Amino acid sequence: MSANTNESASVGYEAWTDALRSGSVLGVSCADCGATYGTPVAVCHDCGSRDLEPVDLPTEGTLHSVTRINVAPVGFEGPYYVGIVQLGDARITARIERDGADTAPEIETPVVLSGVIEEDENGLPAPVFTVETD
Amino acid sequence: MTRASVVGAGMTTFGVHESTLPDLFATAALSAYDDAGVDPADIDAFYFGNAMGGQTENDTHLAPTLATEVGLAGIPAQRFEDACATSANAFKNAVQAVDAGIHDTILVGGVERCTPETGKGTGEMTRIFASASHRQYEQPTGLTFPGVFALLTKRHMHEYGTTEEQLARVAVKNHGNGTRNPRAHFGSETTVEEVLDSPVVAEPFHLMDCCPFSDGAAAVVVTSDDRADSFDRPVDVTGVGHATDLVPLGLKPTLHATQAARDATTQAYDQAGITAEDIDFAEVHDCFTGAEVLASEAIGFFEDGNGGPAAAAGRTALDGDRPINPSGGLKAKGHPIGATGAAQIVELTEQLRGTAGDRQISDATRGLAHNLGGDAGTTVISVMEARA
Ligand SMILES: [Zn+2]
Repeated sequence: MSANTNESASVGYEAWTDALRSGSVLGVSCADCGATYGTPVAVCHDCGSRDLEPVDLPTEGTLHSVTRINVAPVGFEGPYYVGIVQLGDARITARIERDGADTAPEIETPVVLSGVIEEDENGLPAPVFTVETD
Repeated sequence: MTRASVVGAGMTTFGVHESTLPDLFATAALSAYDDAGVDPADIDAFYFGNAMGGQTENDTHLAPTLATEVGLAGIPAQRFEDACATSANAFKNAVQAVDAGIHDTILVGGVERCTPETGKGTGEMTRIFASASHRQYEQPTGLTFPGVFALLTKRHMHEYGTTEEQLARVAVKNHGNGTRNPRAHFGSETTVEEVLDSPVVAEPFHLMDCCPFSDGAAAVVVTSDDRADSFDRPVDVTGVGHATDLVPLGLKPTLHATQAARDATTQAYDQAGITAEDIDFAEVHDCFTGAEVLASEAIGFFEDGNGGPAAAAGRTALDGDRPINPSGGLKAKGHPIGATGAAQIVELTEQLRGTAGDRQISDATRGLAHNLGGDAGTTVISVMEARA
């Protein structure tokens, strides 16, 4: 058996998960047109360039949208919050946590990266952002 | 200009069925044959949709299996998969094939079983539906499909002030229409209070904002413009648009725009040489009440932000100026995933023939079907017209 290889034409999922587990969010930025994407892709949607470079997205942002999920898939236990987080020019989907309330936080609420969850059946990580409290 | 014609249409009731996928599909297909007055020998291709048979019932390579069931083995048979837009994609490809002269007459259809008859409960089906969101960048968050549409709808509420009560009005209207449709999964009225008092699935959606898990099948016979006059009741297809949007949700430039629906609508209207003003009614993909509001704006029935108030004002009712989902929609008619797109074409066909019974839109001459897949990453828009 040869060793496992990780062939990827993009910055790649492994780089994204490695970054996430070490406390940063990896997006990609197009060297040709400057477009930024919250999750890696192999080709720029805006200009077709393959020259996409990894960029560290801000780890603080705001909630672009958010929902409280009560009915969860097998393997997850509801209720919990899932949101779209605006990080600079990019957005990603994340688990959202907040203390002391059982309703979803308001849209545009500030949030900060606080860790990862690995509840997925194959152990795939998801970013967790926490509502900042004073 | 006519690209193809629908000359036969049939479907099962939508609801809970013990029948197998081949049994269910045969019921719809034979009904479409009879409606068209065709035999299998008249069909020269089979375009078929099933989204999740592999996951729900360990059943794949279904096109030749179902072709065998309905007397079509031997001819080209192919399966399409595009999440909830599965059989609209099959329909689009059939229209194109007939329009291009590749085939003369095609059976198009879809079948799916989503109820606990498959042996899968709510948690397992919620997981299977979630497979249409991004495997790496979304599923690990625990995102569900009610959750996906909740995120789209919440942004719309934030931008325009759309309210939960306006969403509930969509459910009330579609349940009312469903009571007039003998094939609907739900045959009972509901009220705004009942919707808002039902348990929350994914905020802002209550259980009664969500379509049910349904079993069912639908099928239509599509033929060329030239051949259509030899059939009793052809209805013309004058435009079919198909577009995609970026996946996952975070990459979509405007979350609540459902841009693929807008792009597909532009294509379909351009092909038909019409605008939204020329459409008499629409069947749209109301998997959740918020999805109908977003769709009503994307197809140009209402200005952006006016979809909620328009629903609350009754403008989308059977007797409104912009009727939407006379069939009861996914909300009341039901949503057997791979059959839904074909069932919308069945409804358009019946409405445009004037045979829709108690739910008939008066003087309907032109209708639109909006079938959306996944996180709005796919949308197919079809425009059909009564044959002059
Ligand atoms: Zn670029």
